[in-house]
Order: sequence, then C-alpha cells, then structure tokens
Amino acid sequence: MTAPLDVSGSELEAAPEAVLDGQARAIQGRSLGQIAWTRLKRDKVALTGAGVVIFLILVAIFAPLIVGLIGHPPNEFNQDLISSETLAPKDGTGIGWDHLFGVEPLNGRDIFSRVVYGARISLLIAFLATLLSVVIGTLLGVMAGYFGGWVDSVISKTMDVFLAFPILVFAMALSGIVQQGSDSAFGLTGDTLSVTLLIFIIGFFNWPYIGRIMRGQTLSLREREFVDAARSLGARGPYIIFREMLPNLVAPILVYATLLIPTNILFEAALSFLGVGVRPPTATWGGMLSDGVRFYTIPHFMFFPGMAIFITVLAFNLFGDGLRDALDPRAR
Amino acid sequence: MKRKTTLGVTALSAVLALGLAACGGGTATSPSSSGSAPASSGGGDAPKAEFNAALDKVFNPSDKKGGILKFANAGDWDSLDPADTYYGYSWNFVRLYGRSLVMFKPAPGKEGNQLIPDLAESLGVPSDGAKTWTYKLKQGVKFEDGTPITSKDVKYGVLRSLDKEVFPDGYTYFNETLDLPKDYKGPYKSKGVNTDSAIETPDDQTIVFHLKQPYSGFDYFAQLPATIPVPEAKDTGAKYREHVISSGPYKFDKNEIGKGFNLVRNDNWDPATDPNRKALPEGYEVSTNVNADDIDNRILAGDLHVDIAGTGAQPATLGRVLTDPNLKAGTDNPTLTRLWYTSINGNVKPLDNIDCRKAVEYAADKVAYQTAYGGEFSGGQIATSLMPPLIPGHKDINLYPAGPDNHGDVAKAKEHLTACGQPNGFSTNISYRAERPKEKATAEALQQSLAKVGIKLTLKPFPQADYFALYAGKPGYAKSNGIGLAVNGWGADWPDGYGFLSQMADSRVIRETGGSSNVSVRDPEVDKMFDQAAQETDIAKREAIWGQIDQKVMEDAFILPGLWAKSLLLRGKGVTNVYINDAFSMYDYLNMGVQ
Amino acid sequence: MVTYIIRRLIWGVFMLAIVSMITFAIFFLVPRLAGATSESLATRYVGRTATAEDVKIATERLGFNDPLIVQYGRFAKGIVAGADYDYGPGVERCPAPCFGYSFLTRLPVWPDLLNRLPVTMSLAFGAAIIWLITGVATGVVSALRRGSVFDRAAMTVALAGVSLPIFFTGIVSLVAFSYGRPLAIMAPGGSFTPFFDNPAQWAYNLILPWITLAFLYAAGYARLTRSGMLETMNEDYIRTARAKGLAERTVVFKHGLRGALTPIVTIFGLDVGLLMGGAVLTESTFSLPGIGKYAIDAIVSQDLPKVMGVTLVTAFFVVAANLIVDMLYAVVDPRVRLT
Repeated sequence: MTAPLDVSGSELEAAPEAVLDGQARAIQGRSLGQIAWTRLKRDKVALTGAGVVIFLILVAIFAPLIVGLIGHPPNEFNQDLISSETLAPKDGTGIGWDHLFGVEPLNGRDIFSRVVYGARISLLIAFLATLLSVVIGTLLGVMAGYFGGWVDSVISKTMDVFLAFPILVFAMALSGIVQQGSDSAFGLTGDTLSVTLLIFIIGFFNWPYIGRIMRGQTLSLREREFVDAARSLGARGPYIIFREMLPNLVAPILVYATLLIPTNILFEAALSFLGVGVRPPTATWGGMLSDGVRFYTIPHFMFFPGMAIFITVLAFNLFGDGLRDALDPRAR
Repeated sequence: MKRKTTLGVTALSAVLALGLAACGGGTATSPSSSGSAPASSGGGDAPKAEFNAALDKVFNPSDKKGGILKFANAGDWDSLDPADTYYGYSWNFVRLYGRSLVMFKPAPGKEGNQLIPDLAESLGVPSDGAKTWTYKLKQGVKFEDGTPITSKDVKYGVLRSLDKEVFPDGYTYFNETLDLPKDYKGPYKSKGVNTDSAIETPDDQTIVFHLKQPYSGFDYFAQLPATIPVPEAKDTGAKYREHVISSGPYKFDKNEIGKGFNLVRNDNWDPATDPNRKALPEGYEVSTNVNADDIDNRILAGDLHVDIAGTGAQPATLGRVLTDPNLKAGTDNPTLTRLWYTSINGNVKPLDNIDCRKAVEYAADKVAYQTAYGGEFSGGQIATSLMPPLIPGHKDINLYPAGPDNHGDVAKAKEHLTACGQPNGFSTNISYRAERPKEKATAEALQQSLAKVGIKLTLKPFPQADYFALYAGKPGYAKSNGIGLAVNGWGADWPDGYGFLSQMADSRVIRETGGSSNVSVRDPEVDKMFDQAAQETDIAKREAIWGQIDQKVMEDAFILPGLWAKSLLLRGKGVTNVYINDAFSMYDYLNMGVQ
Repeated sequence: MVTYIIRRLIWGVFMLAIVSMITFAIFFLVPRLAGATSESLATRYVGRTATAEDVKIATERLGFNDPLIVQYGRFAKGIVAGADYDYGPGVERCPAPCFGYSFLTRLPVWPDLLNRLPVTMSLAFGAAIIWLITGVATGVVSALRRGSVFDRAAMTVALAGVSLPIFFTGIVSLVAFSYGRPLAIMAPGGSFTPFFDNPAQWAYNLILPWITLAFLYAAGYARLTRSGMLETMNEDYIRTARAKGLAERTVVFKHGLRGALTPIVTIFGLDVGLLMGGAVLTESTFSLPGIGKYAIDAIVSQDLPKVMGVTLVTAFFVVAANLIVDMLYAVVDPRVRLT
C-alpha cells in the first residue's frame, strides 16, 4: 500500500469504477485475480513487457517459418561475402535486405536467422529450468514452512548450503563433466541432451531462491484462520497443503517465476558464453556473443545477440515487476 | 661476424630509406610469399617500419643496453622447467635463463636453422658410427650462485627429464634413444642406479652420450632444453619450475605461476663464454593468462613489447591491422613449419574404405578451411600434402585437386562415394579442441562443405587437455564413438623431415592408451620407410625419403591437409634487434633490446 | 550474544564441511558414474608422453585407487592438520590449511588462493562502495521525488542495468574506453597493480571493471532502496517525526533511510560475500587474475584440488558474510536482538 493520501493505482479505485458500471454486486465478488488483472491492464509498461514476451515466444515457436520466409538456414556459410584477408564481411557488416542483421565475419552465417533460432534455445531452457526450480522450491519451501521442526531445519539448512555454492562454477563444471564423456547419455543425444542437461543444472541450482520465499509465505499462511478452520475440521497435511495453501501461493509463485526467467536467460547465456552450453553449430545468444567478442572490431556481430538478450531480459523484468505490483500492492 | 655484415647492409639501406622517405608513403608491399627477400629498406638509426621488415633481416639493430622488455602470454607455460616444456615459444625463451649444449643460431631467416655450440665448445663429435656422441663444455661457465657448471650437471638435467611422471610435458627423444639401464625411471625413482651406459662424464668438462642405435641428427637432441644443466643439490623436482637455477644471462626474481614472473640480470653469467647472447635489457617482465585481445591492443599501444606465444594476432586485430597501411607496416608474416590438418580415421566405418576417405579429400572446401584459421595472412597457405615447403625434402604433391577455386570438387567426391558403396553419403563425427575457436570454425566449415556431397558430420568438442589422451587420440575411444574425423595440427620440433613427420605419420607412435598426435596414419609401408630413413646417412637421399612418405600417406588418404600455417606477428614498438628465426618461426627472443 | 556467535560459528564450520563433501562427491564421484576408471582419471594429469607405467604411478600418487571416503578423508585431514607431499626428489610438508596440490603443476593450492585474493578483494570492495553509494542515493532521491522525470529515468536505467549481461557490458566498455573506439583512456583488461605498490595505478586499472560491475548491482540497489524508502516513509513513526517538527533532512536520513536499510544490509553482505569468492564473469571478461578466473582455469584444466579450494573459499566468504550481516542487523535495526 501507498500513502492513504495517494489514491492513484490502489485498490480503492476499484469500487467507484464498479459502481459506475452499474454492477454493485462486483464489489464483493471480485477475486484477487480480477483485481490484479484490472491493475495490470492499467500498467502500460508491464503490458509492453508482456507484449514483447509474447512476441518473443511466437518468434521462438515459428522460427523455422520466419527464417524460411526472410532468412537463410542458420548454419549456412556465405563465405563469398567475406574478405579472405581480414575475415570481415566485404562491405563491413553485410546488412541489407538479404541479411537483415548482416552476416558473421569468418563464415558469413546470417545473424538474423541465428538470433531467431537462438530465441528457441534461450526461452526453452529458461522456461523449463524455471519450472523445475519452482516445482522443487515450492514443494520443499512449503514443506519446510508447514511442518516446521526438524523438517524445516533440514530443508532450511540445505538451502543455506546451496546458496553458499559458487553456482556458475558448479554449473560449468557439471555440464563439462557430463557432456565431454560422450554425446549420448540418459537415452538422449546431441542438442536434446545438452538442452536437457542445462535445464536440469540451471533449475537445480536455483530452487533455494524460490524455496526461501515459499517457506516464508507458508509460515505466515499457516497461522491464518482458514487453515486453522480446515485443520479443526479434520483435514490432514496433504489436503491443507494442496487445497488450502497452494491456491494462496499461486500469486507469489507466478511473480517469482516470472522474475526467475530472466535470471535463467542470463545464466544460460553465461554458460554458452563460457563455452559449456549447447554445442556448436547450434545458435545460442551466449555462444554468438562469445564468437562476437573475438571480432569486437566488427561490432554488429556482438550487437545483435547482445541486444536480443537485453530486450528479452528487460521484457520479462518489466512484466514481472508489473505482475508483482498488480498481485501484491504492498511489494514495490 | 653476422652482426657486422648486417650493419653494413643496414647502413646502406638507411641511405636508401632516406631517399625513399622523401618520396613518401607507399610502404605497403604486396604479400609476397615468405621465402623471397623483398629487402628494400630497414634498419639503421631510423628504422623504416614495413610489412615483413623483420622476416629475413634484423629490424632496428642496436647494441644499446638497458630497459625492461615486457612480454605477455594469453595462456601459460606448460612449465618453466627445462626438463618439462614442449612449447616452441618456451624453447625460444628458455635460452635467456638456460644454456643447452647446442643451440639454433640467433639469426634472421634460414640462417636460424643452423646449429651452433652453446654450452659446448663445438658441435657433437660422433664416433662408433654415430652411436656415441661427445661434447666438451666451455671453461668458466657458472650457475647463478657462482658454482661452476660441470658435465655432471648436464647429465643430471638430462636424466631427470626422463621421469615422465614428474615432468609430463616434455618429449621422449632421450627416453627412446639413450642406451639406458632396463627400467630406468629417472634419478628420483631409480636412485643410485649407474647410468654410465647411457651418459658418461669422464671429467667435469666432458659428456658422452651412448645411443641404442646410430642417429646422425643427435645435435638436434643436444639443443633440446633438457640439456640445460641442473645442479642436483638445488633440484626440487616438480617445484623446480618456481625457481630454475639460471645458467644464462638472466635469472628469476619473482615468479608467481599462473600470473607471471620477472627476470633480472645474472651477474655470474660471463659474456666472454657466450658470443651468441647480447643480453641487452636490464630485465624481463612476463605476465601470463592475459586476454589475447588485450595483448594485441597493448602491443599496438606500445604498452607491451611481445606476445610471447608467437601464434599471431587475434581475428579482431586482423581487420584493424590489415586495413591500415601504417599498422600493417608494423607486422611480419612468417610461414611456419606447421600443418593444420584433419585426421581421417581408417578405423571408423565407412572410412575404412579408401574411396570414402578420398571422397572427404575431394569434398573439403579448402578456402573455408583457410578462412577458419584466419585467412591467407594469419591462417596460412592452402596445403596439398603434409610437409611444409620450408622443410628440406618437401615435394609438391597435389593428389586431390579441390576444384578450380579450391572450394572442393563435388563431382570427384561423388564418384568416390559411389566407388565406396555410399552414393548418398554417410554420417560420422568430427572432433575438435573445445578451447580453440579456429578448430571449431574448421569443424563447422567441414560440416558445411561435406554436406554438399551427403557426408553428415556431427561436431564433438573435447577439452584440449584430454583431446589426445582420452578422446580423439585414444584408438579405442575414437573407434567405438565413431570419431571419423579429428581436427588436428602438428608443428615440427625442429625443421627437418624426421622432426616433422615421425610424430604424425609413423604408426608405431600410436598407443592404445592414447596420447599420440598420430590419430589416423596406419600403414606398415610408411613405417618401413621411416626405418629406411633413420639408417640413411646420405642427407640428400634421406630427404628424398621424407617426400616419398608424404606421397604415400596422401595416397592412403589418411590425412586431409588444411594449411601450412602462417602467422601475423605484431612487432612491438621500440624494440631493437627484431627478426624472425626460422627455427622457431617467430621472433627470436634472445637478443631483443629496448630502444 | 557470545553464545549466539559461537553457535553460528559451529554451524558455519559444519556447513563448510558439507559443502566440501558435496563438492568432492561431484568432482570425484560423478566422473566415475559417467564411466571413468582410476587410470583414465589419472591419464589427464600425466601428459601425452606418459607410458602405461607412468599412468599407474600417477594413479597411485594421486590416490585414485583408494575408496572415495579415504580420498576425502585425506583431503579433509590436509586442511586440518597439513599433509606430506612427494614432489620428486623428496617429501615436503604442506602445513595446515593444506588444500592439496594441483594435479597438473604439483604446486600447492593454498598459496595460489592467497595470492589471488587481493585482486578479487580489490574488485569486490571497490565496486561495492560505488554501487552502494550510487544505488542507495539514486533510490532515495527517486523515492522522495516519486513520479518525477528523475525517478522515471533512474528506474529505467536501473532496469536496463539488471537486464544486461556483464560479459556484454564489460566487452562494450573495454572496446569503447580502452581499445580506443572511440576513446582509449582506460587501462586494458588484464591490468592489475597491487594497492601497496601504487595506489593510483591500482585504482586506474580497476576503474572499468569497478564501474561495469557496480552498474549491474547499483541498479538492483536503487530499485530496492526506492521501494524500501517508499514503504518506510509511510510508516507511522515517520509521520510522528514530521509532526514533531523535525527537519525533513533528519526525517529522511535518520528515520526513513535507516528503516529502509535493513534489507539492503542483508543483500549487500551476501553480495559482497559471493563476490569475494570470485566474480567469475567480470574477472574473465577483464582477465583479472582473481579467484574467479582461477576457478575457470581450474575447471577447464580439470584440476580438481584447485576447484575444491576455490569452492571452499567461496563458501567460506558466504558463511562469514551471513554471520556478519546478522550481527550488523542488531546495529542497524534496533528491533533486532541476537539471542
């Protein structure tokens, strides 16, 4: 909540608006979700973020189609456009109608197509890794908060231990160890294997962040009346957790998941940048950036993947911030 | 002697340079192939910077003492210990703090390939049909602590280098050739074992090497850093790299492994015993593990003198340097005795069929290969066989012409695919070292060009440290995991056919336990030719055999030659006596000075 | 207070023990699960020319033949009591805390870590001061002028700051200010001068990494301070303070900021703690020879004792930071009492 004097953007406005609509019943009947939606709709910045996010998801899904229409196969060389002396595109960047973002130095691959294909890897890994973190984090966080006692101390201490690890170093080491052996493991091969591994590594190391928040939320929910009521009616642990508490945790889960996605995008980019991500020649933003850095004198090469990361992360952050404001007006 | 002639030439060319300077500009010469001598100007009091000015003559010669030379390394030494180092730049640099029995002449161009005595009074004296080699040490040579250097110190240095468990990075030439007691494992593990059967030291000045078999090129072994004397009393085994006891003009002052070190003057080095070293600067500052792009930028800015690795400018620097005539004039473009190639593993199906291997040879886009390594200046010259042109015995062989533009001959490749029974192509894997972007680019380029004839490649990056020991170079692994192609490279340990070919084409160096550079060449006939060459005492006849081996390996199509490497070196600002020594194919670090 | 600290210290040591066990398990057990044998593990530490016999000796020397628990015990014992080490011609004592010897260079790990700590410390502390000052100041002003142009601009920049990967901003800043496109006024990457050698040079060399790193964090701190301030400035005690007629400056800084500072202190402590264990991406972007760069190099070369050392040092700083933060709480927030 903001200051009582400051009425803009608070739930106070919901009532008069409903009256104007002639739907007095709605004053009592509005669910948290509806209120949040009303607020979110007014938040232009958050909506822009959401719009960009949806756009990016569509780009990722329809990457083959988009590239088929206005691009080139992402791994195709166009060395006729490259100077064999300086390795740079002959006209500097190669940007034009044929190559919207220009071509890579050295092999002349189409940057536009690679950025578009990079969105697939980036978003897929970020989404699924977030999902994994949320599932583990929520499960363990709620258990810790709900049961308390030794369960809580074991889970909390585990989270402490996890948070003490240099995550990036570990993720690097793990994906290195597992990937270098051979390119088939757990019945998977090639890109599928690397992507799955990255999802598990990133998801696995990030759950304590969600876990801590969920534990705190559960602790406060546990003392609420409706939980007491359910308990006095004879409800048992699982019922209370899944039917009474989880619905109330959906909002924070949604908010923190949205805010974890950009972190995971950066994480994946960092791993690819450090050379332990998805294997070449598959296009990833982090991988393109690390190639681009080698050719920093040809700046358009690192500009486009860098901007792709930036815009994506920014969009998710904007949307996540708006979502948080809408769902929980106290948190700003 | 050499210096005088150079000065004479430079005085003349300084006059010429003055005249040329009046005409102004026009310094950018066409990229002539490295063997030729443009020799238009350079040197004197006002050295004229010019592309390839330090290629076959001394650029900016001077005898001025003082100053600190600053070196930087994008990676790190395998080890500073003379017994434990196998990098070309390390062999080049080690001469500042160590003196081996014999050395390469510190002179520009081809002259640098000549062996001259260093610690020894003369080159080795062979006897017993080149099975025994005797060297006499110079008088008055001392370690940095003032103790005289004796032949026992040289012997100890060689013996300790035999312990490949403590010193894993070195070569095994001495292990293989010296007539050592059975199961001898070096002085740490085989304490007190009499080794006179291999090396005798009849007196403090004399050292005698006994070989198992005659070898006429033993002086090449005697120039290896392992013959640098090590005082047994000061030997700290694996820790010796932290403070190597100097026998050269400089000694270690501060050494933080992984970050850098510096060298200061060694007062116990006597110039009278050493006509080859000028020892101009007051000291050297070397930093390691520095970002490669930063090194280039700092050299261009004059903040740093030498990129010690000597492998050339980074791709980002390339565009900047080659497009600016002023910057280009500050570079040299030597050819190396190194081949960048891809091994075609005949143990992996269907490459066991020679026609499938030939299809790979024909289909490869050589221009893309060249571009992957950095183009015609920093990558190299497109190779059509194994032996680089600089190595005596090189024969022009081109069995698989890659089409008119060197982009690959699709028709021929398809023909051979059909002959191989795979008319629609096949699938295999290509391995490369994950830390090497150029090898990654090569793998990607081959993936593209072979796809044109239906050969599908899957990229398999492996960590550099384990590449030969555990993956591509381990026959069992390569076979069971279908590593049909392996991106590879080999540089001669010294510029002769044996030094170049033996480690990459003799099938007997392949070990089941892994680790050999030869990943694919398995031909008993080639092995026989190596034996023939070792017994051949006539140099011309021996050199002819190297050419025949090259021809045979290419006929077998076990190796897809990519490039004979070149590098674009940045000449540091304000450095004197800059020249490329062909023995190292990079700047000679021995006699540089600060202007 | 004393018992609390003792209890926390014991837990801290316990936690480090667990961290070391997990790290050990990951690096020594996982490769074996992936099919590596004692010999194949040793192969990568003996160089290319080693014979099968050399590999066998190395396997023995590195202790790969022992059960994992014995290997871990040896590692743990080294840290507590020191260890003996065969370096070739003799045996050397590695005094406690002995983090073991590099599998590749055979040099002890602990001196390396001590050697690199000043670099990481310089980077972390310098950046921390910058981001704390700029971040909190921006947050406070934004909160006080909520909705103003400054607020919007600052928050937009802040959001951009947290959305940019540091390996991108780092390179861009290097290219722009060090490689001379357009300016060459800053030190190139890889420059580090110890503070005591030349403080001015030390600061000059670190300015770019400091600013790049601080930008990332300052953004988050500005956002955090702003929301914290907005919240506390609405608290009753602020209204009381204003009603008392206190100067606005006093109200803002003595009452408002102090309340908003509590979460900042927590996060600041943890951030600095984590950075002390190596700012991996910053150090590798600017090639600074700190702990983080050491970690990367160790992983690339699979030098397990180094990886173990780095992990433990990082964990140590996180644990220590947690402890310090909790104690600082009592100072910053009068409501908190340590029991």
